Amino acid sequence: MIEKTQLIHNKLGLHARAAAKLSHLANLFTSDIYLIYNEDKVNAKSLLGILTLAASVGNEIILQASGGDEQEAITAIGDLFDRKFDEES
Amino acid sequence: MIKSLIITHGNLGRELIQVAEKILEQKLDIEAIALDWQGDGSAMIAQLEKFIARNQGHKIVIFTDMFGGSPSNISTRFINANVEVLSGINLPGLLKFFCCEERNGNFRQIIKQVEQEAKEGINIISEYLGEKK
Repeated sequence: MIEKTQLIHNKLGLHARAAAKLSHLANLFTSDIYLIYNEDKVNAKSLLGILTLAASVGNEIILQASGGDEQEAITAIGDLFDRKFDEES
Repeated sequence: MIKSLIITHGNLGRELIQVAEKILEQKLDIEAIALDWQGDGSAMIAQLEKFIARNQGHKIVIFTDMFGGSPSNISTRFINANVEVLSGINLPGLLKFFCCEERNGNFRQIIKQVEQEAKEGINIISEYLGEKK
């Protein structure tokens, strides 16, 4: 199991479209992937689970993955956050 | 494969689909039927019959906007082992249906998950946040 602390860079935070991209990406991996924000832990493969976090810009979120492709998953998801979900230049 | 249809008063269904497509950034395999305000529902019944005939061999879920409304009441006549109606559909429910990890899984289980997600999407936010704190 690996974890990464990830800063939320995009202005709108984990809103609906960003959550959809994130869950879609997470579903490409076989590993179990979770997001931990404040005291909440949700399945990163669930769009609606992600939305319940109401995670906003400037805050940190923990990405957690365990499974055969955990490293690839964390790298790809971290990259999506760093690209601001391709919403901003 | 589950085929889906949304039947509503006015264009509510079409709008819901468009919003879900925008969020998911993909074209969704779902059709919408708007109940004609002036009509007696016969046009809607004909469209519904055609949809079911076109999708013979598939499981079909009909989403409607409100339990007890005409879209729901008319759809109810078509319920059988392969056709189910889920009333009161909302955006969380619709998103769940199209994000469901096991779209090819058990029909009833999937419909149950959508029902649950749609219900959980309704919250008095201050109470929800209070419960979380």
